[in-house]
Amino acid sequence: MTDKQNQEMEDQKLLGLLAQFEDPNTLIKACNEARESGYKKIDAFSPFPVHGIDPALGIPRTILPFFVLIIGLTGCAVGLGMQYYANAADWSSLFPGYNFMISGKPFFSLPANIPVTFEVVILSSAIATFLGMWALNRLPRLANPLHRISRFKRVTNDKFFLLIETKDPKFSREQTESELNQWGASAIEEVNEDLTDQQLPSWLQLVGLMTALILLIPPVLIFRAEGMTNRKPRLHVVPDMDWQDKYKTQTMAPNLGDEKHPVYLFVDGRAMQEPIPGTIARGDLDTDSEYYRGIKSGTDSFATLHSAGARTGLQDAAPQEPSDQDTPAAESSAEPAEPDWVTQFPPNVTVDQALLERGQQRFNIYCSVCHGYAGNGDGLVNVRAMALAASGQATWTAAKSLNEPEVIKNPVGRIFDTISNGRGTMGPYKSQIPVEDRWAIVAYVRALQGTGLKPEGVTKADEDTVEE
Amino acid sequence: MATTVEPILDNTFDDPDHRSPLVLGNMDYADVTDKVCSIWEADKAPKVWWLVLIMAISMLMMFGACISHLLMKGVGVWGNNNPAYWGWPIVNFVFWVGIGHAGTLISAILFLFRQNWRTSINRAAEAMTIFAVICAGTYPGVHIGRVWVFYWLFPVPSEHLAMWPNFRSPLLWDVFAVSTYFTVSLLFWYMGMVPDIATYRDRAKTKIRKLAYGLLSLGWTGSARGWHRYEAAYVILAALATPLVLSVHTIVSFDFAVSQVPGWHTTIFPPYFVAGAIFSGFAMVVTLLVPARKIYGLQNLITIRHLENMNKIIMATGLMVGTAYGIEFFISWYSGVPPERFAFYNRAFGNYWWAYWIMVTCNVFIPQLFWFKFFRTNTIAMVVICICVNIGMWFERFVITVTSLCRDYLPSSWHYFHPTEIDIMMFIGSFGLFTTLFLLFCRYLPIIAISEVKSIMPIKGDEH
Amino acid sequence: MHEAPPAKITSPVVSLKDNYVRLIPVSLIVAAAGIGTALLLSMDMQRFSFAYLTCFCTLMSLCLGGLFFVIVMHLTRAGWSVTVRRIAEIIAMCTLPMFVLYLPILIPLMMGSDEVYIWNVEGWSIHGDAEHKAKVLAEADYPPPIEELKAMYLNRWFFGGRMVAYFLIWGAMAWFFLGNSLKQDRTGDKQITAKMQKHSTWMMIVFAATLVFSSFDFEMSLAPFWFSTMWPVYFFAGSMLSALATITLIAICLQRTGRVTDEITVEHYHDLGKLMFSFVVFWGYIAFSQFLLIWYANIPEETFWFAWRINPNSEGVMTGWQWFSLVLLFGHLLIPLLALMARTVRRSKNFLLYAAIYLLIMHWIDHYWIVMPQYSEMVSHPVGPAAGLAFHFNPLVDIPCAIGMAGVFVALFCLIARDRPLVPLKDPRLGEALAHHNP
Repeated sequence: MTDKQNQEMEDQKLLGLLAQFEDPNTLIKACNEARESGYKKIDAFSPFPVHGIDPALGIPRTILPFFVLIIGLTGCAVGLGMQYYANAADWSSLFPGYNFMISGKPFFSLPANIPVTFEVVILSSAIATFLGMWALNRLPRLANPLHRISRFKRVTNDKFFLLIETKDPKFSREQTESELNQWGASAIEEVNEDLTDQQLPSWLQLVGLMTALILLIPPVLIFRAEGMTNRKPRLHVVPDMDWQDKYKTQTMAPNLGDEKHPVYLFVDGRAMQEPIPGTIARGDLDTDSEYYRGIKSGTDSFATLHSAGARTGLQDAAPQEPSDQDTPAAESSAEPAEPDWVTQFPPNVTVDQALLERGQQRFNIYCSVCHGYAGNGDGLVNVRAMALAASGQATWTAAKSLNEPEVIKNPVGRIFDTISNGRGTMGPYKSQIPVEDRWAIVAYVRALQGTGLKPEGVTKADEDTVEE
Repeated sequence: MATTVEPILDNTFDDPDHRSPLVLGNMDYADVTDKVCSIWEADKAPKVWWLVLIMAISMLMMFGACISHLLMKGVGVWGNNNPAYWGWPIVNFVFWVGIGHAGTLISAILFLFRQNWRTSINRAAEAMTIFAVICAGTYPGVHIGRVWVFYWLFPVPSEHLAMWPNFRSPLLWDVFAVSTYFTVSLLFWYMGMVPDIATYRDRAKTKIRKLAYGLLSLGWTGSARGWHRYEAAYVILAALATPLVLSVHTIVSFDFAVSQVPGWHTTIFPPYFVAGAIFSGFAMVVTLLVPARKIYGLQNLITIRHLENMNKIIMATGLMVGTAYGIEFFISWYSGVPPERFAFYNRAFGNYWWAYWIMVTCNVFIPQLFWFKFFRTNTIAMVVICICVNIGMWFERFVITVTSLCRDYLPSSWHYFHPTEIDIMMFIGSFGLFTTLFLLFCRYLPIIAISEVKSIMPIKGDEH
Repeated sequence: MHEAPPAKITSPVVSLKDNYVRLIPVSLIVAAAGIGTALLLSMDMQRFSFAYLTCFCTLMSLCLGGLFFVIVMHLTRAGWSVTVRRIAEIIAMCTLPMFVLYLPILIPLMMGSDEVYIWNVEGWSIHGDAEHKAKVLAEADYPPPIEELKAMYLNRWFFGGRMVAYFLIWGAMAWFFLGNSLKQDRTGDKQITAKMQKHSTWMMIVFAATLVFSSFDFEMSLAPFWFSTMWPVYFFAGSMLSALATITLIAICLQRTGRVTDEITVEHYHDLGKLMFSFVVFWGYIAFSQFLLIWYANIPEETFWFAWRINPNSEGVMTGWQWFSLVLLFGHLLIPLLALMARTVRRSKNFLLYAAIYLLIMHWIDHYWIVMPQYSEMVSHPVGPAAGLAFHFNPLVDIPCAIGMAGVFVALFCLIARDRPLVPLKDPRLGEALAHHNP
């Protein structure tokens, strides 16, 4: 007893005896012997996990898996809860977020939320494993008396060690040493705790404190900026995106003078200029009224054109050729007179197989969604909209069946005009469909009307109106 | 007992009676430590290392310049445009993420399957994984346009935005998958490395090294209790990383497959992408390890048998990818859905036929050479084949992304995709980033898992 | 483990000995009783055929899983699995006689019946009852284009030919492994192992190809409109899981009756348990991915298949199929996932016995969920997926049928095993397997 007390009085306190072994089998044997002779506070050290050392030392299975399981299940709940809160909760006023509908999925749709939940489970479990393992191992520990022993440096290379601690009730300096020798130790060292080395150097503490304070500065600045109002213009990180080299419509023309005496590039001060009256873009000259408008040449007039344009709200239907025939102004302001539609296809449209096929293709792309593939007015959009309208969820004017008698009676020019400029609630397709394709559609519509696929109650169409 | 045994140098033989040794040249524990540490202890790095590093850094600088240019000008500097809104950036992203699958696969799945040969290669493969994921991450990172608000990708509470991310979007799943994958791979890599860093710590000569490796090794002593918990943690991490590694490329495949674009929407995408990722990742590991073992003289640790096993896996996954191509084609025909049938016909015989056939040649035909032992065991041949595999896998992503987008449901927007110089330079530049990181890793960290290799070496005295 | 420890078979009994003579008639009686009951109580050949096909597909996938197990163990030069490989070899060998069991489906099909595979008769793509179909067909002067296209693949002669080819190929491969393994029992020639390893490579490719197309044929073509590229993988995941469960089950039964007591240790069960766990996860992964992609894209061409199985009916009441889907989600994925997670559980023979039986039942439910809604669709002609599907689960038909098929399987197993050793006696890696130890 007095011996031990004397040792404690000294600077260096004996912690245990460290024995070196040359190969893992001797180490396991020694561990077994040590345990059998009653030692409890023992630990072995090796460069790699030695197979069979756990039973030799009596190491119980670690609780790490249970810890990870609990964290993982928590992660699952947190992951799901986070997604619910972010995308579906509308009861909270704390960072509520706007619930937006995307790809027709419910706000909280379990299948779509599984992947993120899974990743959160894995992430939380992995971090729990990593941190839990070090925590259970009492690491990181930067000062360890064992590291002071130069022989022990080979524990990470090729030597095996067994430590018997002084705390062990059976420990006694001499007997333990002789036992260790007996079990095959190739060398034995004392492990001493260096009491002088317990504290961090004071300069290191200061440096640590300073670093921590310096690291605090950026977040403090950010929070300060968040909480203040600022009159300075905002930072432009990508000037190219913010200020682009172009003038948009409805903006001012560049000012060539100074601020007091502005001189604009254009007289009206607008950046975007209207085309000069009478200008015709290349390829847009459409003198052939029959072909371009479906109206017999000679009867074409400013008034009818204008009213046709105004009806559909089209501004670009302005006259592009001077009219050579006067129409009384009164007539145009009243109920617009039906122009003299062409009843035959214009001469430069040859109705043949190719045209009809082209017409069918274009019809199926542009018209069938409302009018149906057979032209009966049962297109998907129409059917759906009618169903919605019936339940009061939408207002909708039914798409016409092309097989109705009054539609069949229409001259080809009028059908052409309907496609070009729209009629009723149907929009104009002039800008999407080129002229020759519009005529192809007209031809196909005629063919459809001639097939006899009609809703019930409609008499057989007048075959005369069908070309070919 | 102590008779010197003739060192075995060829371990590619197959004898059902014996398992071939995985460490050659009669090395003992100290030899393994010395061999691996010699890379780091050498005063000067090999000339080749410097040469490649200089090249890699210049490529990296080009990468940085491209990214700066991109940030200043906007994503218009790429070839992405209507209809190919997803061009090279996503191709490169998927390419790099795919490569980044090998490391975790080797450390986790092969560990769970008790494939001991993984110990010599897992460290380098894991490191490669992390670097590849970094490369991959840059592409979506800079693609978001306003990179300075990148944190909007994450569910950060914000009054300012009054909006949370859309958790039903596969692209957000990607954010979670890739960032989780990066974090877990990093933890796994670092945890596996701690005992070896402790070896470096115990051999460090200079003060800086002592400090740096001392801090990094966290005071590891190699105690039996420590090893016990360490191994338990390793098993858990492996068990977590295995579904994770599958989930990452699965979710990447969801980016495409949940859509309705013909050629993208096909249900086999998840396992097919995973197989492809393993395929390209393993090819990249072989491509990197063959020169590394030559330069550092690690032939006895990374033996021909290791490489042969890798090549067998490359061939197997190549066949899986080939099978998936076949199933896709058959089902597109069988489905009778016109856009679906057109999409696949167009891949093979449309205007991107060249990309498709490069892909098939490199991914399906060329790896068949690994049926012959010569190609499996000849280092030059295998590197050539592996480079072909990665070319093929890049083209696979290109074919999937670009041909489908350029020939979708709307014929009016059909187009032909052209990459810009920035696209090309960024792709080359990302190799610079990857190579730089890998070279630094080789120089300053243990490229072979020293303690794991020792644990599979025969114990002296047990041999007889 | 570099040196193979000495291999020594120490169990007193390693084969079924004469017991198989008794077991075969008993199990055949069970089979006849079960299947007979199902046939009598269903009182409808079509209903019975579907119940039978469900059980057949369950059993077929199980045998294919056994074949895959054998091939992959040779391919990877596995050491640990040597002691349970013979059981898998015998299960794999059952693939060939399974052809006879398929005849009750195949013969009517070849004679032109569309009771099971609707694509066998023209007009299947037309929605409605037989009268309506006949009317539409009579009006059109050519078959619907989709039928014309699919008839190139789905026609009875090609189908029948494919079936013969599949079973011959599987039988040949299974016989190659079983025969050589038995030969090694006599000669102890380690070159046989080398030979099997060498041939396992290309056999894996052949196996993959046949599995892919057979999975399309057996079950996916029941709904000829539907298609999913994931299908073969889904089929494979279930088949491997059920094969592992069967191997575990058989091994435990053999040991409980005093056979191969020393060779199959708790370490092997632990590994089988781990593999079962991983295939539970894999099945879940594949099933979920397939579902998610189809659910998310919601394309009418493919979404209807799941809509029938997971949507409530038009009144918003849960259908039976919806309950089945929930049973699969919880019973086939979540419960076994949590139950098989613990190491102690995987090392408990008692628990694994129940787990194996449970997983086999789940596997049967999985196939029931795949096959049976097609019957319901055929007989009830729902207007569309939104209308919900009639539910035709009848425990008095389906359960006896399943029990009967289990009896058939036991009879087949005994017929192949006879008094042959149930563990490879002289495999060069036997020692490694015996000394196998899980960390």
